[in-house]
Amino acid sequence: MKIFESFNLKDALFIGFCATLLVVIKGSLRLKLGISGHSMFLMTFFYIICFGVVGRVGAITACGMIAGVMAMILGIGKGGPLILLKFLMPAVAMDIGVLLFAALTPLHWRFVAIALCGCIAWAVKGLIGDLLLGMSLEVGLTKFLMSLLTGGIFTVMGAWLVVPVIHRLKAHDLISVKIK
Amino acid sequence: MMTLHKKLKHHYKNLLIALALVFVTVLSGLAFMAADDSLMCLAIINLLLIVHGILNQGSISGLLKFFSVQLVLTLVLYWLIHGEAKLLDGALVVFRIMLAVIPGWWLTLVCEPQRIGEVLAWIMPHKWAFVVSASISLLPFMGREVKEIYQIQIMRGARITPKHLRNPKNWSELIYCVLLPTLIQLLKLSQQMATSATNRHFSQRTKPVYWRNP
Repeated sequence: MKIFESFNLKDALFIGFCATLLVVIKGSLRLKLGISGHSMFLMTFFYIICFGVVGRVGAITACGMIAGVMAMILGIGKGGPLILLKFLMPAVAMDIGVLLFAALTPLHWRFVAIALCGCIAWAVKGLIGDLLLGMSLEVGLTKFLMSLLTGGIFTVMGAWLVVPVIHRLKAHDLISVKIK
Repeated sequence: MMTLHKKLKHHYKNLLIALALVFVTVLSGLAFMAADDSLMCLAIINLLLIVHGILNQGSISGLLKFFSVQLVLTLVLYWLIHGEAKLLDGALVVFRIMLAVIPGWWLTLVCEPQRIGEVLAWIMPHKWAFVVSASISLLPFMGREVKEIYQIQIMRGARITPKHLRNPKNWSELIYCVLLPTLIQLLKLSQQMATSATNRHFSQRTKPVYWRNP
């Protein structure tokens, strides 16, 4: 809990705005492509932007927490407290990824690796849910692999786009921290 | 006397919302955990929630759409992997998914958003509660800003109309033309808000005070 208290107000507000924007775009754009996993595109993008701007472990988890709370408050998606998990689990996994891949260079690949941690967590969450609901293991695993594949593609796309955006934000002199 | 009455009523309502939150969480959780033979009880409760939701001007078209998509997807998978014999099991799974989803749908219909926020502020650190309420009050502004940027960029010839966006190739254009300017705005805004809140002694008191609509 202490780590979340220690963000300065500006970073906390930016994380909050990012989370809100994510939830609102997700709710209003409704990319009804019929492919599971497209939601990972926006989620990855905003989570890693948060990390890139704030530059600290815990930023992604905070962003996921706020996004879940906002989605709950605004009733985006199907609403209800379960949506909190949907946003939070990939976020926590990505923060663990930040710690694991702290030494990976170049930045592109580090972001992709971090994002894929989130994608795996998202797919595992789906698998656990399906199994708890009584789905047979074969069907559950098939669904898991399908979402891992489609979600993975969207995740990599989202993560790949972050680096140029971060560079441009730096060019505008809006980011002061430097990710090592 | 009047104000005391009002205050009590306010607290009472928030308590109800908190109870509803817990109730919905438990109900959704039960959809995952409950044994097959107690599903009927759950279904009856959920049916009551649907009726109550419709009475509160809720629309079930989104719910039905979600249900049909899930049903088709799951049944096709079951049919491909297990054959016809297990189709009923697949239907049962989809039924459980619906039982998990309906309580959330009901909650968003019967609870006012700002009240859920107020209840959540009980358990959140007050800095983050401030962040959430700031984000909510900035929603209209953000929406306007994004819409404006979007329109202007279309006028400039960006390939970001809904028709263009069906092609994933154009998604990066959406990021550069709309999201990047929006992010710059947000960074500026968060800096300004943080400065103005700190200048008003935010987070320097041990016991935070709130401004309420009179």
